[in-house]
Amino acid sequence: MRKLKMSVIVSCTLVLLSFVLMSFVQEKKPWDIPAKYQSMKNPQAADDAEMIKIGKMNYSRHCKSCHGNIGQGNGPKARSLDADLGDFTSAEFQASKDGVIYYQSFIGRDEMPNFEKKIPDDEDRWAIVTYIRTLKK
Amino acid sequence: MKKLIYLIVLFLFSGHFAMAQEEEQTEKKVDKPVRSPWESGTLVNHQTSITQYKNTLEMVISHRFGTIDNGISDVFGVMAPGANIRIGFNYSILDNLVVGYGTSSQKKYQDFQAKYTVFEQTRENTMPVSLTFYGNAAIDAREEAVFGVDYEFSDRLSYFSEVIVGRKVNDWLSVQASANFTHYNSVDSLLDNDKIGLGFGGRIKFSPQSSLTLELGIPLKIESISQHTSFTDHPKPHFSIGYEVSTSTHAFQIFLTNGLGILPQELYMYNLSEFDSKSIRFGFNITRLWNF
Repeated sequence: MRKLKMSVIVSCTLVLLSFVLMSFVQEKKPWDIPAKYQSMKNPQAADDAEMIKIGKMNYSRHCKSCHGNIGQGNGPKARSLDADLGDFTSAEFQASKDGVIYYQSFIGRDEMPNFEKKIPDDEDRWAIVTYIRTLKK
Repeated sequence: MKKLIYLIVLFLFSGHFAMAQEEEQTEKKVDKPVRSPWESGTLVNHQTSITQYKNTLEMVISHRFGTIDNGISDVFGVMAPGANIRIGFNYSILDNLVVGYGTSSQKKYQDFQAKYTVFEQTRENTMPVSLTFYGNAAIDAREEAVFGVDYEFSDRLSYFSEVIVGRKVNDWLSVQASANFTHYNSVDSLLDNDKIGLGFGGRIKFSPQSSLTLELGIPLKIESISQHTSFTDHPKPHFSIGYEVSTSTHAFQIFLTNGLGILPQELYMYNLSEFDSKSIRFGFNITRLWNF
């Protein structure tokens, strides 16, 4: 009887502990990107200086406060967010398809807001993607 | 003969077809409006050509502190009594049409306004300038006694209308000029009910988010619209110089100005302060946007 009591206490403690640990070690929640976006290609050339300049302006205005000066996810607002902001300079991020970056940036989900109304011009949106591509290390 | 007619018809239609294709190609190339000629709908005291996108709600908090002449004793006017505060809400019914309401502490003004951008400057210069109409009607909501004898509700009303022409000259410089008309239904016996004025404004952008702003408003002395033989207490020009920083949904403007008024008709009709060390004061505007 005593052994049974002990094993119940131990297993309950383990379950509780696992819950606590799970809350610390959150796995990255995968993005569900619709096929339409997966196949989208950035119409702007990677070295289009005019678009990079416009993209930088819009990045500074709309993205920098969370994603940081060079996209490392360390902007002043980042601390108050639970979401994984990613690192735009990393090879892993830069390997993402254009359409995936577009979807993540402008359609968004959870704490990442939708920017379709704030940046209605498609050229301006792609300019941000073009600029983000220049952030790779 | 028949063959010849067929050939002619074919030739004519082929030409028409080619032209239609050309037209389609030219139609596709639309000259879009210039990108952010100004950061928000207000520069300092004047409006800009900016109307937010359809279904956007804009909250504007404006504050004018006391004059700076007492120095550190009242923190350069920040703690001085007699500040003027306004909170306003504007809603974009269309991409180029905004309506709004605001309430001010000065004279308890309750104002209703509308702004319509007729056309915007375009990137390829098809349209070299933007043209905007702005108008408001304000109610002075103080107690009746302020208006003297023979009080009528219409004595509380004042109006301001303005035509604004603006141009984004390049990535760092935007300028605008405006002509405006102010009317107060009731004024002191020595003052005119109407004033015509000119406004000038500029923005010098020195980083992607920050700008220096300049603004000047000049009430004109026009004898032909004056009801008196001489001008008594003719309002002084109001000048402002400020710093503006904007983000996705906010614009912060902090400036030095010589006008206590926030509503433009107040500045064009009643501002008697010069832009000097005794009369200038700090002020700020904060705007917050919500998209629906």
